[in-house]
Amino acid sequence: MTGLAVVEIVCAGLCDLVVDQGRPGYEHLGVPHGGAADPAALAVANTLVGNDATAAGLELAYSGPALRFPQGGTVAISGACFCATRSSGTGVKWNETLMLEPGEILDLGAAREGCRCWLAIRGGLEVPVMMDSRSTFLPAGFGGLEGRALRHGDVLRLGEVAAAQPLLRAVPPADQNGSCLRVVAGPQAGLFDDAGLAAFFSETYRVASASDRRGLRLNGTALSRAGTELPSQGVLPGAVQVPPNGQPIILGWDGPVTGGYPVIAGVIWADWPRLAQLRPGDGVRFVTVELEAARALAEAEWEIGEQA
Amino acid sequence: MDLPQERIPDCTGWRWVTDRGLRLQTGSHTLARYKLLISRNLPEVESIIPADDSILLVLRSGVGISAGLRAAVEMPLDLRPQAASRLHRIVVSYGGKGGPDLAALAELAGLSQQDWIAQHAAAEYRVAFLGFQPGFPYLAGLPEKLRAPRRAEPRVRVPAGSLAIGGSYTGIYPESGPGGWQIVGVTDVVLFDPRQSSPALFVPGDRVRFEAR
Repeated sequence: MTGLAVVEIVCAGLCDLVVDQGRPGYEHLGVPHGGAADPAALAVANTLVGNDATAAGLELAYSGPALRFPQGGTVAISGACFCATRSSGTGVKWNETLMLEPGEILDLGAAREGCRCWLAIRGGLEVPVMMDSRSTFLPAGFGGLEGRALRHGDVLRLGEVAAAQPLLRAVPPADQNGSCLRVVAGPQAGLFDDAGLAAFFSETYRVASASDRRGLRLNGTALSRAGTELPSQGVLPGAVQVPPNGQPIILGWDGPVTGGYPVIAGVIWADWPRLAQLRPGDGVRFVTVELEAARALAEAEWEIGEQA
Repeated sequence: MDLPQERIPDCTGWRWVTDRGLRLQTGSHTLARYKLLISRNLPEVESIIPADDSILLVLRSGVGISAGLRAAVEMPLDLRPQAASRLHRIVVSYGGKGGPDLAALAELAGLSQQDWIAQHAAAEYRVAFLGFQPGFPYLAGLPEKLRAPRRAEPRVRVPAGSLAIGGSYTGIYPESGPGGWQIVGVTDVVLFDPRQSSPALFVPGDRVRFEAR
């Protein structure tokens, strides 16, 4: 073990970000949670390569990078399936420990369906920790690698690991995908008229192209409401805000921590994996669940076992 | 799981924002309740976000409201004057190129620019909360006469350090970026540096005074 293992970015994807489990606890300073859009998926990929669940990996959206491993490496990928290939010709399986040979190139390709996948590399990505996290926060340009998405020619250093690596595979919880987003009523749901609430809960809204990690903008029947400006309130990922134009916005992982628009509903924590896979043009519908049901759904876990 | 603990307390001031955020209506006692809540180190609470007249408690996934949290929320507040919080003195260049909206705001208030500046610099402000950008302070205590609506057309780029007025708040933009508040001056102070152990210059509850350069 040289301690100098690296990954080279031969060709960058559309938006390759160094992420970990995020930086909760700094919202009162105006800094959002951030981190992997599906934290459980990255945590599982880390487990498959023998990392601590909190290690930093890559979040790849729409189209991933080609990565070269000069010293070889152990990787695992979870989330949306991409058309990935290996220079060795070996197939690329999702949710399994993969052993790459020295000099091998892993080309992630484009997403077959969905939007994002997470790549963990044994040792974890060694970028500076800022505010307890290695996650990239693009809006303010800090965290990750120089606060930005990866580029052609970047070299990422890996951390050291000691213990031997077993070959593992993981099975995601059932019911992780779907266009149906489960919500609990929001604090200002009562401000909307019956027609607006009926539209919100029965019609399909389409994800607009101006969506990113700060928020998923939706297009559909405009939601009208009574009253004027509201005081600013704390918000969090999943909160569905309705700005004056009546088109809802689902706040994302890098979204604002306070907002002055009414919150009609809130997507439950268990559906963060669904939010993470939405892309422009996708249709979504909202259904309400009780709080207890939301908590029960949040307990669904990945199963991890030995590779066959 | 102990279901009775999962119920929302019988208080209309509680609302859920997703299944992990509890919004507590705090009226004019937001900072006092915020201080009490952070002093409790409640293990099920991941983050506490104060805002205008409410606080959002972000709970760790899979946990409910504990007796300790409920007690901290319902406990009467000690509203006697607290030990003095930190006071920041911020030197500002009012008006000119760095404060393009000062003339219009002075006219709106029926004051000369000098009197507008004098009134702004005479007040003591309190950091009500931070938001919009990392380290952006919403400073309460703006004299009523100086209040002004946001610009109808937000600017595409407001320079870092810009001192601004938005409704009943005054604030400072830590980073350059789009912004809709009225810009009245500029300061050199660094408001946010993620490499520091205390990344934000201000925390909720701090006091702020401005001095004209």
